[in-house]
Formats: sequence, C-alpha cells, structure tokens
Amino acid sequence: MSEVTNGVSRRSVLKGAAIGTAGLVGGGALLSSCGGDAATGPLSFGARTVDESPTKQLKALVAAYEAKTGNTVTYNATESNAFQNNLSQYLQGTPDDAFQWMAGYRMQFFAEQGLLVDLSDVWEEIGDQYAESYKIASTGLDGKQYFIPQSWYPWGLHYRKSMIADIGLDPEDIYSWDDLMAVLEGMKGKGLIGLASADKGGWEAMGTFDILNARINGYQFHVDLLGGREKWTDDRVREVFKYWEMLLPYMNTNVLDLEWDGAMQLLLQRKAGLFFNGSWFGANFKEQSDADYEDLWIIPFPEINPEHARDTIDAPIDGFCAAANGANPDGGKDFVKFAGDMEGVQAMLDTGVPMTSANSGQDTSTYDAFQKQQLAVMAEAKYITQFLDRDTRPDFAGPVVGPALQSWFKNPKDVGSILESLQSQWDALPPL
Amino acid sequence: MASTAVGGKTRRRRAFSKKDRVTLGVFVGIPTFLHVALVWFPAVATIGLSFTYWTGIRFSDIKWAGIANYTNIIFDTPAFRIALKNNTIWLLWFALIATPLGILLAYQIDRQIRGHKFYQSAYYMPVILSLAVIGIIWNFMLRPDGFVNGLIGRDITNAVSFFGDDRWNLYVILTIASWRHIGYIMLLYLAGLKAIDPSLREAASIDGATEWQTFKRVIFPSMKPVNIIVVVITIIETLRAFDIIYIIYGTSAGMPILGVLVFQNIAGEGASMKGAAYAVILFVLSIGPILAYLRQQFKEDVK
Repeated sequence: MSEVTNGVSRRSVLKGAAIGTAGLVGGGALLSSCGGDAATGPLSFGARTVDESPTKQLKALVAAYEAKTGNTVTYNATESNAFQNNLSQYLQGTPDDAFQWMAGYRMQFFAEQGLLVDLSDVWEEIGDQYAESYKIASTGLDGKQYFIPQSWYPWGLHYRKSMIADIGLDPEDIYSWDDLMAVLEGMKGKGLIGLASADKGGWEAMGTFDILNARINGYQFHVDLLGGREKWTDDRVREVFKYWEMLLPYMNTNVLDLEWDGAMQLLLQRKAGLFFNGSWFGANFKEQSDADYEDLWIIPFPEINPEHARDTIDAPIDGFCAAANGANPDGGKDFVKFAGDMEGVQAMLDTGVPMTSANSGQDTSTYDAFQKQQLAVMAEAKYITQFLDRDTRPDFAGPVVGPALQSWFKNPKDVGSILESLQSQWDALPPL
Repeated sequence: MASTAVGGKTRRRRAFSKKDRVTLGVFVGIPTFLHVALVWFPAVATIGLSFTYWTGIRFSDIKWAGIANYTNIIFDTPAFRIALKNNTIWLLWFALIATPLGILLAYQIDRQIRGHKFYQSAYYMPVILSLAVIGIIWNFMLRPDGFVNGLIGRDITNAVSFFGDDRWNLYVILTIASWRHIGYIMLLYLAGLKAIDPSLREAASIDGATEWQTFKRVIFPSMKPVNIIVVVITIIETLRAFDIIYIIYGTSAGMPILGVLVFQNIAGEGASMKGAAYAVILFVLSIGPILAYLRQQFKEDVK
C-alpha cells in the first residue's frame, strides 16, 4: 500500500518538475496548446545523435508534432556512444519520455526489465502501415510491442560511380569472391586502397565478420553462433578469418586508427575504391554535396559459398521507444505514435535528408536512385540480420568481441588463440 | 556526580555548550554522513556486487556468483593481462622518467637558472587542464587527420598511426600523460624546496659538497614528506589512468588499461559485475603498495 503511494507521489513530483521546466522553456507554446484536444502535456525527447543530418530530421519531426498537438517537446541530444553507455542508468533515472533506440535484442533486454512502455495499442492503430517483419522486430519476448521503427539501412559494398574506371571493372559485375579479389588486386596496382576499413570504435569490423560468416557458413550458423549454440572454436569460424585475412593486404594500414567516418573519408576523397558499411553514411555524402551523394552506389557483398549465395544481409532498424519511468509516459507514447505514423514520417522526409523509412507509406517510387538500389540489395536477401552487437548478448558483443577483433587486426596469426579465448569468455558469461 | 564536583571548574571550561555540540555535530555529522553514504557505501557495495551476477537494473535479479567474475577475468580475459602490462609500463615510465624529470625541473627552477620564470609557467600550464581536455588536445594533434599529420604532409591514407600502432601507441599516450604529470610533480616539489632552510645548503657548500652531493645527502632527505606524496601520487596517477584513454579510444579497449576495463564492463547495456570485480582489483592494487609504503615510512619516523 505504502509502496504504491510512494510510487504515485514520486511520479507526480517528477511530473510537476518536468512541467515546471518545460513551462519555463516553452511557456508560449503551452498557452497555445490549451485549445488542442489530443494534448497529453509537455514531454521530452532524447535524440541518440548530435550529427547534422539526423538532427535536422528529428527537429522537423518534433516541430511537426508540436504544431499538430500543441504539446511542447524538449529536445535533448546526446552523442550516440555516450547515449548507449548511459542507457541503463538513464532509463532507471528520469529519462526523456520518448527516445531513439534500436530494434532487436537491445530493445528486448530493456523491455524485459520493465523500462519501456508497452506500445501494443499504438501498433493496433498504426501497425497496418508496416510490414510484418517490422512488427516482429518491434516485439519483446513477452509478445508485446515496445518499439516503433523509423528507418533501416543495408550493409553492403559502397563505391563511387565516377570511379568505375579506377576500380577497373564495373563493380556491378562483382558477383563472386574471385571477382572481388581481382578488382582489389587491380586497385592495389593503381595505388588505390581497395577496401576502406575502420575498427577504432571496436564495432565497425563486426559488420565484415557478419557478412563473411553469413556468406561462408550461412544464416543459420551465424545466428546459432551468436546465440551460443555453435562454438567459436569451430573450424567454420576459422574459415571466416581465413577469408578476412585475404582482404587485409587491400585495406588501409591504419584500420585501428580510423573510426567509421575516417574510412568513409577514404571513399569520399577517392582514396579508396570500395567501402563496406551501412548505407546511413549517404546522409554524410549529401552534407558534402548533392553531386557526392548522387555518385554513391551500393552492391551486395559477393558470394563465397554458392550454397548460401547472397541470401543474408545486415540491415539494422533504428526507431523509437517510450520510457516507462518518464515524467509523462502517455506523452512519450503519443509522440512515438506520431513518429511512426506516415504524418510524422513525412515531416522527416520533407527535410530532404535521405531516409529509407520503415513505413510502407513512403512510396518507394519517390526513392532516389541510391535508395532504390538499397532496396534492390535488400530484396536479393532472404534473411535479414540486425548487426553483431544487436544480435548477441550486450555483455559479449562490446566488451568481448570488439577487443577480440581489434587484437586480430594487430596479429592475424593469433586467430587460434583469439577464437579459443572468445569461446571461453562466452562460456564464462553469467547465466541469463 | 562526584567528578563534576571535584574538577568542576576545569571540566566546565572544556565541556561543550549545547550550541557547540549542535554546531560540532552538524559540522562533523554531515560530512561523515556524506562520506559514508557516497564513498564507503558504494565501495562496500561494489565489493559485494563483484561476487554476484547482475545486469544492474532490478535488485531481484542479483545472483550469487562466488568468485566466478574473478576467475573469468584472470583466466579467460586476455584484455586483463594486456591491461596489467600497460599499467605496469605506465607505472615504470612515471616512476623512472616522468617523476624524476619533474624533480629535476623543480630543482633547476629553484636554483633560479636563467629563464626559470618562463619554464615554471610553461611546465605548469598543462597542470591546470583536466586530463580529459589534454586528451582532446592531443587527439586533435595526433589523429590521422590531425595537425601533426597535416604538418608532415600526410593524409589519412598514409598518416602516421600514432594511436593505432601497437609498437608505439602506449608510449605516445605516456608522453602525453607525462606532459601533465611532470608539471604536477614539479609544482609539488618546488613548493617543498622553497620551504627548505637555505642555511642547510649554505652549510653543505661550506663543507665543500658538490651540487649532486648536496641534493642527494641534504636536500632530498629533508624533503621526505614531499617525497612520500610524490610516490603516492605517482602510483595513484598510474592506476587511475582513464581520462586520456577514454577520450582517444572510447570504450573500445583499443588500449586496454584497468580503468577502462572497469568502465567498459559496467557502463552501457552490457552491465556486468565483471566491471565491479575489475574495480576491486584496481582498488587492491592501488591501496596495497600505498599502505605498505606509508607504513614503512611511519615506522621509520617512530624510530
């Protein structure tokens, strides 16, 4: 009994505090909201980015929401790594009512802990705007939805169309591993970096591991490995690193000195022919110039094992959640509903920042050429994975796999002991 | 009752009035409470949690793990060994290079060599910067698209890999850290040197002692309190090293050191009490040598 009262009073105190602050910030907007019927009160939104393009997009979303409902939204931006590192504490403390997050395991983990607002009724209202696969990706282990997808992007080989002559072969013709090796060798002869790579952040190279493993050993083995049902000491994992090692001579030598945006610069500055990454960086090209963006193209990673062809792709989904401990959870829910509804999606699209939305209301015929190509790359894949650090336990991905891949770059010959150590560290993980 | 009657006068003078007691209670009580609540409680809780499995969210999820986190770290985690090695090199570097350099500088400045005022401010400048800021400055200087690589005409394709190449990156970091540590030690030592009675030096020179002999036999021993502080600070600075590495490498463990391993395992979604176990190991490593050193020093004092 007393617990309940405490809970209520604590929450109303927080609510009062938040209203007070928000009222100070946006007194004018508050007044204008008096006439609105769907008003759920002022709320705050936590953005997981401080980059230019996504910020523009999210601010447009917030503005459209404010204009429609009259609710004031406080916009709080945090750099994405810092946001991720603090998320547990953030969600247990006084989080923003709605925030940007990722689908899959990372969302399910927090949903299990009771830190996210159940969005099942939102899905009932706007769910028909999404393909079933997005609903599955938004569903927690208890069968309820806790996530509203915003956008997706495929991981593939990117290149600049204007560099086809430098690359030596139209990359569209790269279908098999041998094609890729021939092209890389040709570029090396011309003094170009074949494959721009980065791993200073510890996660960038996970994408390469994912795709090599899926190409060589197939989707099922990949998810089983990440789920702990297969062993890292398996010869099939060794095989992945054997192929990876063949790529090393064509990579920039400072892989451990560059973060993903450094590797992107190599492509942007035409110092590298190919760049394996998620297509989100198209927005960064667009920030440079429209010409750079229009020059950008993507193809699927080549086939290695004909048995699996090119049937798997990493295509992470980003989106929104509402925080259970927020001062105004109803407001948070209302906001993410708007963000998932075509109206909110349109507000983001109208900024002109390229986005491949998860909402089927975004007519794919309005896609620009690069986005259409992303869709084509996706369409070829039968299986979609999220990304290594979204598909396995968080206490394994970051602290264990990340450093292991970095030490492999330092000493590829140590692959045996690195894989043994990966397995023993998996075995030593606490039971879930 | 009897005692108040006998020593009443003196006792009354010593006894605190009610107001005094309240004042004292507040002045002692509040800091003690804060200290216990904010320092001792988390420390003890960390030690306790290091023997459990927990995601850091719901108390009901805490599970007893025994020493599993420790065996995991010691036997299964290669990053731990690398971190120990890096911290050891860090300590040796600080103890054998940075700290003696700071002392040398302090001594030279105290001897008022030409331009000593300039050196004093120049070396002291980095000390006023926090280590995080120092990390930002040097990251800007040395990263692949940074100032130094630009200066020597290299772009990101062929940049000197200051932070990425295992052969020297630790020493690059140590040089950066020393940039501040030297100034810090210099300042501490200088303050000590200023307090030394000049007649000691005079006496030494009258006895015909050389500069080195004077320092070794006269100045250094009489600087004992400062020496203790310098040793302790050198050890602590080594073990708590975190800021610079975190700014430059993030949590990726591109350069494993104990401080980063604590953070990497406890922050974020993957909160695991392995981080608490790292923290306890770090605590034991820092407190052990410091206590041993202090005890030995005080024992000598008692003699």
